[in-house]
Amino acid sequence: MEKIIQVKDLSKTYKKKKTKEIVKAVDSVSFDVYRGEILGLLGPNGAGKTTTIKSICGLLVPNGGSVHINGYDSNKQRLKALNYISAVLEGNRNIYWRLTVRENLEYFAGNRGVNRRHIQDKIDELLAFFDLKKKETELVSSLSRGMQQKLAIAVALLADTDVLLLDEPTLGLDVETSYEVRDLLKKIVEQQGKTIIISSHDMPVVQDVCDRTVIINGGKVVADEKVEDLIKLFDTRAYSFTIEGQLSEKQTRLIQNHFPIFDVQDNQVQITVEKENDLYTMMDILKSDQTKIEKIDRTTVDFEQVFMQLIQKEGQDDPAVASH
Amino acid sequence: MIQLWHLINANLRKEYIELKRYYPNTITMIVQFYFIFLAMLLGIHVVGDPQQIDTNVQYVIVNYVIWFFMLTIMQDLGYVILFEAQRGTLEQLFMSPLGMWRILLARIIANLVIYGVIVSVLLVLSMATAGEWLVFRIDVVLPIFLISILGMLGIGFMLAGLAIIFKQIQSVLNVLQFILMGLAFVPLSVAPYLIFAPLVKGIDMVRHVMIHGYTWLDFSFWDYSALILNSAFYLVLGVVIYLKSEKVAMEKGLLSQY
Ligand SMILES: Nc1ncnc2c1ncn2[C@@H]1O[C@H](COP(=O)(O)OP(=O)(O)O)[C@@H](O)[C@H]1O
Ligand SMILES: [Mg+2]
Repeated sequence: MEKIIQVKDLSKTYKKKKTKEIVKAVDSVSFDVYRGEILGLLGPNGAGKTTTIKSICGLLVPNGGSVHINGYDSNKQRLKALNYISAVLEGNRNIYWRLTVRENLEYFAGNRGVNRRHIQDKIDELLAFFDLKKKETELVSSLSRGMQQKLAIAVALLADTDVLLLDEPTLGLDVETSYEVRDLLKKIVEQQGKTIIISSHDMPVVQDVCDRTVIINGGKVVADEKVEDLIKLFDTRAYSFTIEGQLSEKQTRLIQNHFPIFDVQDNQVQITVEKENDLYTMMDILKSDQTKIEKIDRTTVDFEQVFMQLIQKEGQDDPAVASH
Repeated sequence: MIQLWHLINANLRKEYIELKRYYPNTITMIVQFYFIFLAMLLGIHVVGDPQQIDTNVQYVIVNYVIWFFMLTIMQDLGYVILFEAQRGTLEQLFMSPLGMWRILLARIIANLVIYGVIVSVLLVLSMATAGEWLVFRIDVVLPIFLISILGMLGIGFMLAGLAIIFKQIQSVLNVLQFILMGLAFVPLSVAPYLIFAPLVKGIDMVRHVMIHGYTWLDFSFWDYSALILNSAFYLVLGVVIYLKSEKVAMEKGLLSQY
């Protein structure tokens, strides 16, 4: 498959304004994006997603490494590279609130040097696709957050670039609209063969929409896998212990120290093991207080647990997020 | 090239739409212009000897119009950056493969066209009201004006560059209009070294046309060279500083801040 975006050893540091402290927002990040795929850039807040997206867009000059889009360096050949990408950046300020829906579409197309008259049909198509036809003469400031977001995506699509970047596209949307946007994104990939990168801190969004996910945490890539593979990989390692009675406090602490991901519900303890030995360690912990094991099952993990575990590995000394 | 045309077109439309949509501001501006012109024109009658005053008043009006356009060119790009940064749309503009500097250029051209039309119409209208017609060599003044504009455009880009980095530049933009007014009204004969300042040479030549009746051949080769070199220098310097500022802003992550 053809690599359309190559991110190589990308690093970006910021100097904090007040404290003059240096922040490593992105630290030697590398990944490729293939034509026609929909990639999820997943990570908690402050992981470096926005910084990565903006570096791809050429809005930030990296301190190290490079981004190539269709072979063009997004920093050194910025304007050439921009021919192939459009983006909806974080937040709701990608469009003009003082212009109407249609005026926004026309203006941003004009800013890319497109003839207004040549895109009227395309605009009608997009308005229909995003269910904005009835709102086309309304000011953006009067639209709901969800409609604004759909318009921002429509504006980016009108540019008709190979790649579409979306930074937290469902953030701040109500559940229903979030689902609507997800479905629209899936349709866009199916119908138009676009390459899409979605950043999100919301696992279900990535699991639902994306083929592959690059998970970043603390500015570093911690996983780069097909979403299904990632879940499979962890599935085989998840065990559920049904015990008699409850765990003692000591046992809970021991489990917490040993297994980054665990879940207790009544007499059900679920753990995810990394080494074969871990299973025996778990049994030892249970035995230490003479807890009886009624049953051991293999179970499925959800994506959220996978995510937590990957992020845990990075910051081992921070047990605060060990259980959920 | 054709892309640049569509770019200018889009920005012209946007500016026009906003002027129309927020018409109270627009009407205030139009009324202001009309009365300023009218007051100046009627001044010819009120103040003493019409023979003498006439040329002076004509000069003051032309100078005022020039000053207004120069101010617009100088401040506008800085304000575009500030407003777009506040609205959060600045980064989207930076995503255009045509480059932000071309968008800025398109914005300023759009504004010059719109204000050009407004000012011309109002000037004619107020002349008709006052029954007092400006008579001057517009064929000489206009080219000098247009060349001077290029130098001011350089200053405009310079300030736009600074605005990307220092978002608190608003007060600087405001103060500059008084400096510019000074430059526009001090004759070169009083302060010869001001020939190195932007705009001054152009205004000085306009003054010669308006007051001393100069035409094309009355200016020397040096006059034209100084005018063109001055404008070219500030234009190039301005664009270079602007592009450098863009880079600095992208290195420091300043595009999204305001
Ligand atoms: N302009 C900036 N100046 C200083 N620090 C920044 C700036 N932008 C981001 N950061 C810091 O860089 C880190 C990564 O931020 P970001 O890329 O926005 O993460 P995410 O989008 O994953 O939440 C955070 O610690 C953030 O505070
Ligand atoms: Mg972010």
